[in-house]
Amino acid sequence: MKKYQILKRLSLVSASAFMLTFACKDQFLEVPPTASLAQAQLSSKAGVEGALIGTYAQLAGKGFSRLAAPNNWVWGSIRGGENNKGTDPGDYSNINVMQRYEVPANDGDLNSTWQAKYEGIARANATINLANGSKELSASDKTRVVAEARFLRGHFYFELKRLFNSVPYVDETQDYGKGIEKVVNTPDIWGKIEADFKFAYDNLPETSSSAGRANKWAAGAYLGKVYLYQNKFADAKATFTTVIANGKTTNGKKYGLVSKFAEVFNAENDNNEEAIFAVQSSMNTGNVNNANGFDDLNYPYNTGADGPGNCCGFFQPSFSMANAYRVSADGLPLLGEQADGTPDYNLAENSVKNDYGKTTADAFTEDADPLDPRIDHTIGRRGIQYLDWIEHPGANWIRNQPYAGPYSPKKYVYYKRQENTLTDGSSWTRGYATMNFNIIRFADVLLMAAEAEIEAGSLATALGYINQVRSRAANPAGFVKNAKTGANEANYVISTYSTLGDQANARKIVRMERLLELATEGHRFFDLVRWGTANKTLNAYLKYESKWLVTKFGGASYQDTDAILPIPQSQIDIQGTSVLKQNPGY
Amino acid sequence: MKNNFYQSLRSFLLLAIVMLGSFSSFAQDRKVTGKVTDANSEGIPGVSVAVKGTTTGATTDANGAFSVTVKSGNAVLTISAVGYKTKTVSVGSQSSVSVSLDEDVSQLSEVIVTGYSVTNKKESTAAASIVKAADLQIAPTGNVEQMLQGRVSGVTLITNGQPGTNSIIRVRGFGAFGGNEPLYVVDGVPVGSTDFLSPDDIESTTVLKDAAAASIYGARAANGVIVYTTKQGSRGKKGLNITYNGMYGATDPNVDGAPKMLTPQEQADWTHVAYRNNAAANGTAVSYTHPQYGSSAQAVIPTYLHANGLNGVNNVDLAAITAARASNPENVFLIKANKAGTNWYDEITRVGATQRHSLGISGGTESGRFYLGLSGQQQDGILIQNDFARYSARFNSEFSLGKKVKVGENLQFTYRSVRGQAGGNNGLGVAGDESVILSAYRMPTVIPVYDEFGAFASTKAAGFNNPRNPVRQITLNNSNDNNYNANAVGNIYVDYEPIKDLTLRTSIGGQYNAAAYKDYNYRYLGDSEPEASNSFSEGQSYSFAWVMTNTANYKFNWRKHGFKVLAGLEALNTGYGRSIRGSGINPFSMDLDFVTMNAVQSPVVNSNLFSGVNFYSLFGKLDYNFNEKYYFTGVVRRDGSSRFGSENRYGIFPAFSAAWRVTSEEFMKDLPAITDLKIRGGWGTMGNSNNVDPANQYSLYAANRGNSFYPIDGQSSGANEGYYRSRIGNPAAKWETAVTSNIGVDATLLNGKWEVVFDIWRKDTEDLLFNVPLPAVVGSAASAPSVNVAKMRNQGIDMQIINRGNLTSDIKYELTFNNSFLKNEIVQFAPGITNLVGGSFRGITPIRMEIGRSLSSFYGYQVIGYFNSAAEVASSPEQSGKGVGRFRYADINGDGKITPADRTYLGSPVPTYTGGVNVGLTYKDFDLNMYLYASAGNKIWNQSKWFTDFFGTFEGSGKGVRAKNSWTPALGNAAEAPIWESASNISTSAAENSWYVEDGDYIRLQNISLGYRIPKNIISKIGVKGAKLTLSANNLLTFTKYKGLDPGVGGAADTSFGIDVGNYPVTRSFNASINLNF
Repeated sequence: MKKYQILKRLSLVSASAFMLTFACKDQFLEVPPTASLAQAQLSSKAGVEGALIGTYAQLAGKGFSRLAAPNNWVWGSIRGGENNKGTDPGDYSNINVMQRYEVPANDGDLNSTWQAKYEGIARANATINLANGSKELSASDKTRVVAEARFLRGHFYFELKRLFNSVPYVDETQDYGKGIEKVVNTPDIWGKIEADFKFAYDNLPETSSSAGRANKWAAGAYLGKVYLYQNKFADAKATFTTVIANGKTTNGKKYGLVSKFAEVFNAENDNNEEAIFAVQSSMNTGNVNNANGFDDLNYPYNTGADGPGNCCGFFQPSFSMANAYRVSADGLPLLGEQADGTPDYNLAENSVKNDYGKTTADAFTEDADPLDPRIDHTIGRRGIQYLDWIEHPGANWIRNQPYAGPYSPKKYVYYKRQENTLTDGSSWTRGYATMNFNIIRFADVLLMAAEAEIEAGSLATALGYINQVRSRAANPAGFVKNAKTGANEANYVISTYSTLGDQANARKIVRMERLLELATEGHRFFDLVRWGTANKTLNAYLKYESKWLVTKFGGASYQDTDAILPIPQSQIDIQGTSVLKQNPGY
Repeated sequence: MKNNFYQSLRSFLLLAIVMLGSFSSFAQDRKVTGKVTDANSEGIPGVSVAVKGTTTGATTDANGAFSVTVKSGNAVLTISAVGYKTKTVSVGSQSSVSVSLDEDVSQLSEVIVTGYSVTNKKESTAAASIVKAADLQIAPTGNVEQMLQGRVSGVTLITNGQPGTNSIIRVRGFGAFGGNEPLYVVDGVPVGSTDFLSPDDIESTTVLKDAAAASIYGARAANGVIVYTTKQGSRGKKGLNITYNGMYGATDPNVDGAPKMLTPQEQADWTHVAYRNNAAANGTAVSYTHPQYGSSAQAVIPTYLHANGLNGVNNVDLAAITAARASNPENVFLIKANKAGTNWYDEITRVGATQRHSLGISGGTESGRFYLGLSGQQQDGILIQNDFARYSARFNSEFSLGKKVKVGENLQFTYRSVRGQAGGNNGLGVAGDESVILSAYRMPTVIPVYDEFGAFASTKAAGFNNPRNPVRQITLNNSNDNNYNANAVGNIYVDYEPIKDLTLRTSIGGQYNAAAYKDYNYRYLGDSEPEASNSFSEGQSYSFAWVMTNTANYKFNWRKHGFKVLAGLEALNTGYGRSIRGSGINPFSMDLDFVTMNAVQSPVVNSNLFSGVNFYSLFGKLDYNFNEKYYFTGVVRRDGSSRFGSENRYGIFPAFSAAWRVTSEEFMKDLPAITDLKIRGGWGTMGNSNNVDPANQYSLYAANRGNSFYPIDGQSSGANEGYYRSRIGNPAAKWETAVTSNIGVDATLLNGKWEVVFDIWRKDTEDLLFNVPLPAVVGSAASAPSVNVAKMRNQGIDMQIINRGNLTSDIKYELTFNNSFLKNEIVQFAPGITNLVGGSFRGITPIRMEIGRSLSSFYGYQVIGYFNSAAEVASSPEQSGKGVGRFRYADINGDGKITPADRTYLGSPVPTYTGGVNVGLTYKDFDLNMYLYASAGNKIWNQSKWFTDFFGTFEGSGKGVRAKNSWTPALGNAAEAPIWESASNISTSAAENSWYVEDGDYIRLQNISLGYRIPKNIISKIGVKGAKLTLSANNLLTFTKYKGLDPGVGGAADTSFGIDVGNYPVTRSFNASINLNF
């Protein structure tokens, strides 16, 4: 009988199992997604603000190629002739062709650069939509959030415009499933970029407790830059004049130049009075993408404990870049050039002495002639104190000197005392530093303003701006000193201009000053294109560098069509040739 | 639906009862009882006893006894059972009959276990293959599925030599762009991997290949189903049956077969050759600039490569360096050149030992049976600090509660540990990784393993670029890195037979999996790119998957019509759970007893949770046969899955198949040579959704530290949480459908001397779910939704031929040939999309899938030779970076210049043929088995050549001997590599081209084994019933043209397949095993 009861029970169990699986079948097949959020959950104030943070995060191209970096180390500096790829031939070999102006449209990093900028735009657009749809957000918060998002969107489009010229313009009204893939690429987007920055300029607050946010004055400075890129010199002049007179940083510091040049690039001095808009960097975030992950290859090589990073010997300053810091005995740069386009500073008698072809064990006598002091904040070279590490030992810190030359990058490199306090040591190299990268800094604004003044205003005002920048560089307290003797590491001579001469000469001066002040910060290539001097300058550069770096540059040349990158082939493949038209020359 | 199903079930049951009633009305006359026994006089349960010419019959009970009613005195009984030869017996006037059945060795008797029902090969209309348990036990593989290689036609299996690793298993091709793993079912429980199974516990392995066989699994069957059944005890046997299987073995790393590297002097000489070539190419003077080899034309290796900051020196101040080292041991090295050369592959490998012990205890009574299996396996990899261990305990039992109810369970607990495993996807991805095996080729031979102070030596010595000492990597960073896994899998079931031949079964099964890992990495400053921090990470996860299955099986005969009906209902979840992992750097001490997440700096904790996918399914199957001559099977299954939105959640997958047993026809009686001949045909559909993310229907946002966090407040430590759109949803996605058709022949000739199984098949996957690449303007961080847009076709021929017989009266042989031919082709992508590009390796993108080609096809420039002269450089089409001695590419589109548009299809990694020959010989108490495996028609992308065969790819790092046959004017197009030089551009190392593509064909003597069954009269004295000794050698010989370490190159599978960056080779091993039966 007992057996029968067990049996009965078992039958009941199986019958109820049958029933159960029938009864809750519909709910049973609804399994909500885990570890993520639905859009509706982001309509709260915190959600909208979080989406905005996510948009800022994309400034650094997180999750995309290192070439999508905000410092444009490849697209701006390497292709501008300030640096070469560095390292050895095989490592990251697709940069080889980029530095030779032979970019193939199917390059993966090219595509990733494009994707990174549009990811930023997608996040900005999503933030705008979330803000507009949020009932929890106050009107003032809504305006601010939208203005910040439009500032960021303006930035991403500005980058796309400079890199690719003709791009599809998508705003918050377009999305997946609403025909976004049918928007054709067009060069005509300057007006829209202006409109975003104008909106941000008109609506952003001047200050915020969050130092990393874009403020009114950052928008103003960026708007001026956008005018300058369109040669709208009068608009640029007016905008810069207001920004210079009234601008302050988001954390409330009146715009100015920090007293020592090197302090611009020191993590201990982040968000200083010169930082108009910067990509914020930090450690201990659980991911080195937040610690200038795009720059992790750009350190001297095989330094051991004596030097920073150790990896991977990329981004080596060029011979030409070093020579540009040669000054005359009165402390002014050499502006002349030869009939064949060779700048005077690249003449044999002016070029900076270097240890190319020498090992660390070989004897080397350092250059004793006058140099702009900024050379040793910008370029790591043999015998010169390298931040607070050691004197640069030359070849021992260079991965492949015959291939890439004798110099190391220096500006965005951390100090020894900052290791593991202002660097993130949690990944495969030590080269994750927390100094912010300045997208626009005040010296840049002064020099852009000087350009605008030269083109559409007063040479005297321009002279003042240029000299302001030079005077800071001339602060002897900021010179690189020998660690033992305390003496200057080289024969630093720098003075201010007494006059800019005529307009043509003034142009030469301001353009040279931009090179010297902003070298390796990613501006150069775009400046050259903007000035219409890229062809002459870059071909002269290739000719000069290939005297030594033959494997790297032999046979390379720059054509006018190289001013603009090809539209990534894979995007054309996805969207079709009727939507995305390839740029000329590709 | 609910009511409908219930009603139909009820009517069906009623019908069944009515029909049963009608049968009983035929019964009359006298009763005959009897017993069916095997060769050992043990009763055989479950034997079918039919009265010839009637529909009357019976089945034997647990003791082999039966009782049947016969009409007349000349009744004849047909007695048949799976695994035995059918016998006919005249009853005559006897009232009791004893029948002894002979075992049937032919395949026809083999059992096809589909998980829901059991049938035998003879009756099957479907394409299914069975692997004998014995075949699974021979090789020392960690995972049982590896032994399917070549033994089952229609199955592509690619594995590597790493113990405890997963394999690529594809049943009848590659149906989709991912998730092509077959469904594994163990005792009715679907499982994601079978790595927990002990080979000695397996009773049968059945591979269900076509829709007719597999579509009972409906939505999850498109990639085939592999059904494992574990061992059971036998009812009614007296006493216990105890078996012990023990195996010892050793695996040899095949150092001599490893690619050859340049000796130290050769490496130095060829560095100087490169400098001369550079100078010639650039038109400059030669300068010998390597920091080690001197500045004159003849390269000289210094005594010391590195001496505390100095490179390439002959004399050192030993006292000073010793003092410096004492004060700064991590940073000071004294590295002496190893002029004899370090064989790095030899240094990182060893002869690996393997042992496995299994104890099986089974028994039964009339009312129950049980099996207990205990097994332990330890296996060393050929890499040092790499090993695998698995301990399992299995408890299977079944008991009768009265006559109508049986309850049973199958349960296994497993503990698994893998140490130092390389490669993603449980080791499967190792071929495509830059692993320590690649490090062995990147490390120059001149560098010693240790420096003069006994520390690891490495590229602190200048001029050798960035490889890492692999002995150091393994010894420090792998030796304490384990993955642990504790797993319980099993089911409990109740069988209820309310009326004869109607079985209602309910089964509840599940799998609980708990995993943990730990990973220590040590600071080491002796590399040019040093590891700067000590680091530690660990993590744990658990998941629980369950399945509930209810089935009703009913079989009945009516006159000459035989019916078998199956109806079922299943609900399951593929696994829900959580995971957590933490990492951090620089604890105070790396003492293993000290380090926890509490001790590290910058701790980062991440976790995840997942809900799995729910399936709800109804299925039914009807098997019909007329007079054992014509067979028909219809299967239909309706599946609902939570992967899909409500509009397309359900898919219905029918399949039909039929067979004609020609030998049952009268006219075949004149052809006694044909023992059995059956022609089969089937058509059906199966579903798939493996490749679809469970959240595919939703648009989602997420937070990600590396992607959407930002320190907005300007802080230098920590960041604010931000969100980004992580997924764009497609609520309209629906099931992928694989439409399969299959025509097959099963033939047995000359009374089993020959057997042939032949299938020709086609599988078209339609509505293929495909992540249509989104245009970047949508935002590329969001995962693209799967959309039903693509089509794929697989077709092939599966063939098995068996020949067996006696050579002499003592020598029996059996030859089995398995052959599979496969063609895989992408038929359609989304509108406007013609290709899909795979991942890239150091800037090389080898894979592009396009319409008309196979999955994972290789794509690149076609090398037509080298530029053999300056004149040839000048006269050939424009080509970026062209120069003397570099690759010359074909101008495919004939536009007079070489551009990316000139890249072309270079081959496929999918083998068009795989097969095997098994030779079995038995002589008295000896048996000899030999097994050859062959794979052909595939290409391998030998990406390791990127590192070893160009001077300019990481200049100074280790290079291979093909350097010595690199281009010279004299060698011309016969050169094995381009000119030895620094340049890296698309004419040298920086482009995907046909030079990397090699034939992947190979034949491997996979196993040869000799067994000796110790005669009973010897062993019975010590209480042993049976004993067998076996010696075997695995992978003894491999014939291939492939230049890499091993032609069996898998990789991450599906869309990243056949790329060899540094594979973990399958190498030869030797085993001795003993099987005892008590």
